[in-house]
Amino acid sequence: MASALRSAILRHIRVPVTNSLSLSGSAVRSMSSHGDDHLDKQAVIDRVIHVVKSFPKVDPSKVTPDVHFQKDLGLDSLDTVEIVMALEEEFKLEIPDKEADKIDSCHLAIEYIHNHPIAN
Amino acid sequence: MATKPTRREVLSLFRSLMRTAREFTDYNIREYTKRRTVDAFRHNRKLSDPAEVAAAFADGKSQLGVAKRQAVVYSLYAPSIKSVMEM
Repeated sequence: MASALRSAILRHIRVPVTNSLSLSGSAVRSMSSHGDDHLDKQAVIDRVIHVVKSFPKVDPSKVTPDVHFQKDLGLDSLDTVEIVMALEEEFKLEIPDKEADKIDSCHLAIEYIHNHPIAN
Repeated sequence: MATKPTRREVLSLFRSLMRTAREFTDYNIREYTKRRTVDAFRHNRKLSDPAEVAAAFADGKSQLGVAKRQAVVYSLYAPSIKSVMEM
């Protein structure tokens, strides 16, 4: 008798579960927190240019998306490291040393950041 | 005696110091660390004698250790109010 009473009560209390959220066959994760995986390329270019222009030793008029830090802007390797650090702060990234050593121009910086899934 | 550090090691030390500077919660110490590393590395840029280079590198490494420990200690007593420079 207790078990019948129990199941009767539970039948009232239990909320029926419906399958209303079926995304059959859809590849889009609508609840995903990643959203758009890559930043818009032009936005990346603009922000990178802005960071490079803000660097005190750089002549802003010479900065283009293809400029090479050491060859075109006359910076040295220490300045290059500083610029890469500034880019890390701008995009909230942690670039490992091996990759950071390869970034020596605006073009490479833009490529790396654009391809990085976590860049923000 | 320490051997002369490679270019990559020097740049790696520079980067480590800048990264450690970022961990400071205090705006003043953070800016000082960044300024000081840039000044020190630039001042020693032209050194060519291997013994001098090795000595400067060893000095830099010990300073990195100091900075890392201080970053931990400072974070224990970090104030909750941000500096006005960061607003």
